[in-house]
Amino acid sequence: MIYTNYIASVLLIVLGLYTILYKKHIIKIVLGMGIVDYGINLLIVSIGFNDGGTAPIFTMSELISGAYFVDPVPQALTLTSIVIGACVDAMALSLVIKLYKQYKTTNADEIRRLRG
Amino acid sequence: MITYAHFPVLAVMGLFFGAFLVEIFGSRSKAVRNFIAIVTAAGAFGLIAALIKPVMLDGEVISYWMGNWEPVSGYAIGIGYEIDQLGLFFALLIVTTFLLSGFYSLRYMERDHHLGHYYTLYLMLSGSVLGLSLTGDVFNMFIMIEIMTFAAVALTAFRNESRGALEAAFKYLVVGSIGSSFTLAGIALLYAQCHTLNMAQLASILAAGLTPTTLFAFALMFTGLAVKSYIVPFHAPAADAYTTAPTSISMVFSGMVNKAGVYGMIRLVYVIFRAIDLPAMQMLLACFGTVTMFVGVTMALAQHDFKRLLAFHSISQIGYVITSAALGTGLGLTGALFHAMNHTLFKGLLFLCAGAVLYAAGTTDLDRLGGLSKRMPKTTVCFLIGAFSISGLPPFNGFVSKWIVYQSIYAKAVETHNFAYAFITIVAVIVSVMTLASFIKVTQAVFFGQLPASCAQVREVPLSMRIPMWIMSVLCVLTGVFYDFVNEHLLHPAVKAAFNATGYIDAMMGEGYAAAAGVANVEVAPVEFSYWNPILWLVLFVVMLVAVFFVILTGRNTRGRVLEETGAPADGKYATYFSGEKSMPSHVGGSDLFWGFKHDWKSYFTVMQGAHSGVVNDYALWAVFGGAVVMLFMFTFLR
Repeated sequence: MIYTNYIASVLLIVLGLYTILYKKHIIKIVLGMGIVDYGINLLIVSIGFNDGGTAPIFTMSELISGAYFVDPVPQALTLTSIVIGACVDAMALSLVIKLYKQYKTTNADEIRRLRG
Repeated sequence: MITYAHFPVLAVMGLFFGAFLVEIFGSRSKAVRNFIAIVTAAGAFGLIAALIKPVMLDGEVISYWMGNWEPVSGYAIGIGYEIDQLGLFFALLIVTTFLLSGFYSLRYMERDHHLGHYYTLYLMLSGSVLGLSLTGDVFNMFIMIEIMTFAAVALTAFRNESRGALEAAFKYLVVGSIGSSFTLAGIALLYAQCHTLNMAQLASILAAGLTPTTLFAFALMFTGLAVKSYIVPFHAPAADAYTTAPTSISMVFSGMVNKAGVYGMIRLVYVIFRAIDLPAMQMLLACFGTVTMFVGVTMALAQHDFKRLLAFHSISQIGYVITSAALGTGLGLTGALFHAMNHTLFKGLLFLCAGAVLYAAGTTDLDRLGGLSKRMPKTTVCFLIGAFSISGLPPFNGFVSKWIVYQSIYAKAVETHNFAYAFITIVAVIVSVMTLASFIKVTQAVFFGQLPASCAQVREVPLSMRIPMWIMSVLCVLTGVFYDFVNEHLLHPAVKAAFNATGYIDAMMGEGYAAAAGVANVEVAPVEFSYWNPILWLVLFVVMLVAVFFVILTGRNTRGRVLEETGAPADGKYATYFSGEKSMPSHVGGSDLFWGFKHDWKSYFTVMQGAHSGVVNDYALWAVFGGAVVMLFMFTFLR
């Protein structure tokens, strides 16, 4: 049933947040950000789902008032969100590479020149 | 179709298109690059400024449907842009900031490489923040927030060989993406309940009351936007980003990026959820604001770096804006918007001065600067105007807005008989005093005092960097003196628009839509500056100053005599020594002017500096903790 989707999405979000909060390796932190994104994408696409609905692709003549299809808007939102998530990951990983070159470490506890 | 309805969309799209053009044509020729950047920024400024007449003065609300996808049978399908007075007010702040910042960076950034990328990111940042303030669609708002975060992170890391730039960018990205994720989850839940993404339609549907899901969505979106406005549990990466970004970008951060977050919060709380009437909501916002202003200013007192100090002041001033907006009264929101505007002006000016110091002297470390007033007199004058404004001295603009903020909080305390608001008024005044103290320290450490040998060759910055500084300074004085004019033509329409959800909904969804959904208007009386007239207080200030001078003058004759009577010798030549050597005067460093205060509060500063540990996990924990507090509070008190 669709409830499993909601439960899975919440689990993914919590897992991602756990990774961001407790893992000291900065690549793992980036992965955590990705997992939060996937959880939210699953949430959005589940919201638009109608059990037994068809794909929302119609021509004007086919579209009748009783047509039953899944909501197309959340799918568009999910696509946008996936693209944005990929950009976040790419940018974060490029920062990680630069950080490793400058600090010679990937441990978050040692990357703290700015503090206080 | 009226022609000026296309202006907002053209302004936003023009900036994004300019970003592409700079990337394609700007990498080879400096002249082409600068020309494209300045022309697009000035074009956006012109297009937004042209809307002052129809929107601000005539009170029209512009609605614009992308591709002309208008609502069908009461359901908004397309993406809509809606420009009411509140949105235009923030849009005006944004265009002013980025135009001046772009002009400043022409000279300021000339020693850097890969400037084509710099201007691309700069135009993307400007376009996204402008789009955020003009859009009428929550998902579009999320997209703009994301573009804003990307561009801001990339610009923070732009000088990636300098100390800490990369780590600041990384921390900003991690915490910022937590905020964006919260916003997106909130938007998804809102869509699940309301089946629309249009702000106007959401406002009319949510007027029927909140379900647990929409309340949860509210908490998530509130947290997400709070992360973007850098209020206290979310502020730590922002302070790093302000410090390490190029100074022209620090100005953009404090002038428009955090204003975008503030705008989003006001739009969310006042218009979409219309929750500002609830006392619990007011208390939540007021607590966030008070903690923000106090933590910001105390952390600023402990800083040794010019830009980092300004960054913490920037966080502190946003606390004033949030506290004042929390009150839900016409006077409170007037104070909030006025202070937001003034903060854009004076903090932008102060960052430009810090940039001028960095450009001329090569450092922003307070312990290595000093005596620059002899070398850079014009920058010093600009800095003093900014420092007087932020400390709230009359007749500069900071005084007027802070005065309205105190008045509105105190009026709220009287009205509700709530002791907490009286306490907040006192905290606000104390924070203002600490701001003044902190700026005395900076002025002493950077511009007065002794000129170190390393700064002996410093010269005044070029004219093209001084022009934006002068424009900001003049605006600081003008808005302080002609506050009545500003209030009548900019603030009051914006305040009215924030309370007038009916007009917002009807302009977008068609006449009578709001009334059918049961949305009522709140009438706002125009603010009268009668008994809190700042000019009267300026007179009082002058009178007190005269009185102090009089006391000093009468005391002058006895001052020397008292010393003689106690027998203290004028010089130590004939003094008696029992043992050891003659004591040497120890020099207190410029950044340690308030060492006594810091010593007394040592336990507080130890805790706070430990909390700003610099570890990205800790900052993420703060953000998630802040979100959890918001959710718990809302589910306990707002149901």
